[in-house]
Amino acid sequence: MLWLALELPSLPLQLAERGGGSSAALVISEGAAQRPVVLCANRAAKDAGIREGVAVAAAKALAGELRILQRDPSAELDCLERLAAWAGQFTPMSCVDGQGIALEVESTQRLFDGHAKLSASIRRGIHELGFHATLGIAPTPLAARIFARAQAQGIPVRSCLDEREITERIASLPLFLMDWPHEALARLTDLGVLRFRDILDLPAEGIARRFGPAITASLDRLVGKLADPRVPHVPPPRFRSRIELPAEAEGVEALLFPLRRLLAEFEGAMRGRGAGVQRLMLALEHARKARTRLALDFSSTEREAEFILAIAREKLGRLALPAPTIALDLRAEALLAYVPRESTWLPGAQEQALDRDRLVERLAARLGNDKVFGIAVADDHRPESNWKRERARRKAEPGSSAPRPCFLLNRPQRLIAEDGTPALQGALELIAGPERIEAGWWDGAEVSRDYYVAANPRGETFWIFREHHAEGAWYLHGVFA
Amino acid sequence: MKANVAELAKLPGVWRGGELEHASQPAVPTGHAALDRELPGGGWPSGTLSEILHDDHGIGEVSLLAGAIARATEGDRMAAWINPPHLPYAPAIAQRGIALDRCLVIRPAHREDAIWAAEQVLRSGACGAALLWLAQDDYAWLRRLQMAAQAGRSMAVLFRSTAAERLSTPAHLRVALERGEGMLKVRIPKRRGPPLIHPIALPVGFAPRSRRAVARARVAVAAPAVG
Repeated sequence: MLWLALELPSLPLQLAERGGGSSAALVISEGAAQRPVVLCANRAAKDAGIREGVAVAAAKALAGELRILQRDPSAELDCLERLAAWAGQFTPMSCVDGQGIALEVESTQRLFDGHAKLSASIRRGIHELGFHATLGIAPTPLAARIFARAQAQGIPVRSCLDEREITERIASLPLFLMDWPHEALARLTDLGVLRFRDILDLPAEGIARRFGPAITASLDRLVGKLADPRVPHVPPPRFRSRIELPAEAEGVEALLFPLRRLLAEFEGAMRGRGAGVQRLMLALEHARKARTRLALDFSSTEREAEFILAIAREKLGRLALPAPTIALDLRAEALLAYVPRESTWLPGAQEQALDRDRLVERLAARLGNDKVFGIAVADDHRPESNWKRERARRKAEPGSSAPRPCFLLNRPQRLIAEDGTPALQGALELIAGPERIEAGWWDGAEVSRDYYVAANPRGETFWIFREHHAEGAWYLHGVFA
Repeated sequence: MKANVAELAKLPGVWRGGELEHASQPAVPTGHAALDRELPGGGWPSGTLSEILHDDHGIGEVSLLAGAIARATEGDRMAAWINPPHLPYAPAIAQRGIALDRCLVIRPAHREDAIWAAEQVLRSGACGAALLWLAQDDYAWLRRLQMAAQAGRSMAVLFRSTAAERLSTPAHLRVALERGEGMLKVRIPKRRGPPLIHPIALPVGFAPRSRRAVARARVAVAAPAVG
């Protein structure tokens, strides 16, 4: 077994700053309401001299303008669970562990070309999500966790691949990296037992008697003497994620950066499940205003963040937002099976069909659905009903053989006629016709016309007709372009 | 020295001023042998921007390209009609041999949208041909379209008025159309090679099948109006 542990130091702070960092001092508070203490502080707050563990009241005195957020453990757990779901793309065994997640990667590292490349792509992925994490790799989950925590503390640790080497590698690491009770750690410190080297040299029975069997059991799990089974996180069959913006965002451009992070998370979670969606709901939350909802619909199952972002960008560009945005919420209810498409050197028919669908979607997203359409022949003799708009790309039947103009006017245009001869930039000479079209008496839109092909002296050729009922009334209906 | 020039002329993209360039650019036959002979590469250039200049409408400016469009959309690529002056009429387009299910009509509300759509369409690679009516004279934008057409290997045809002949263009081919004596007269003011000043006449557009039949009909039409 090979475990990869991700530790997210100062997770509450990372959560607060994920929508984009801000230069204002920010601290996360925790503890009793009478005397809250600073759990973590951002760079600006640290520069002002605020240390972790001081009272919030003292912190306020240090920084002139301080933003204080209450810690929200449920949001943290929620975030870690979503991260575990996101990590499902790397291994089926991912779970929430401590202040981070743990992945079993022995079975899948070959797929990713070794653990070094795998951890590099996980690192990159975490960064795209907007998080900062340290990685530890070890044969037991607990050792991996200790390594990741050590790195978060600034102690450099190399990854360990062999179970026999764990004892040697952890020897010089401090004991406080373990999740042991404070009293136990304090008493060990009093005894001069500070590092793993010291405690592993002591007889196990003595430690169990003094500090309880839980301590020795966790040491055995750490070095692999005792099995440490974990339960994989099973994500719910839907996707939901929310990101809060550090400041009220005016306009749409400012939303694209946090939206990219949401979509990266979405793509990872979908990869882990082998799923995609045809519909995504994006909600923009405003202060004191109803949220703006935006539905993203796709004709095929999609999950690629870049493509969805391009569609969303066009849709957002058309929105008029009632107020500045304070948070983004992305949801997908129905997850569908996703068939991955290989990218080939020479794109085949399937890839082209995909390009086409995506092109039509992108165009329709900005221009509107009624502005992008296909055309087909309809089963009707009336020229205005002889064609129809189609959802782009549908099979069509062949047309008739009588001459038809390339362009048809939206509605026939009345022509000036002198002595019964129609004119359009010069007298029109009839060069073909008449072709009588009588139809539509059954639905009230009756036409009874004689169609001619006519050309003016400049050679411009038109499709014109004479209304049968109104003698001498000529209309222009088409252009032989 | 002479040998050097002959060698130079063999390089791709290099041709003698007096001759047509025959290699490099991919081209699709237009179906008009007389026109194909005059075009570098033996056909309408695909994968680049070209221009059709015409002042008169309804002289067969689209029909001229029907063969090339049909060929450019082979392999299930689309033909996009961007901002056409009127609706492309489905039965007529089917008659001219263009597959209707490959036609995509885009009628944007604004000029900016039309240009944006044109670039998207060309760059996507999903469209083998794109017919553009943009009323766009900005050289920088035409250059962008030219780059997009190259990236998407798309045959981009821009319809402009002959007034544009005075303006420089990034397009490699410029064809001016006029109608005369029942034929379409094609002049090529710009191509990779010497310009074609004396127009060639092509039987494009509406060819009257029987003038006598029409004459009879005309009498019939005229009669009630007089009486």
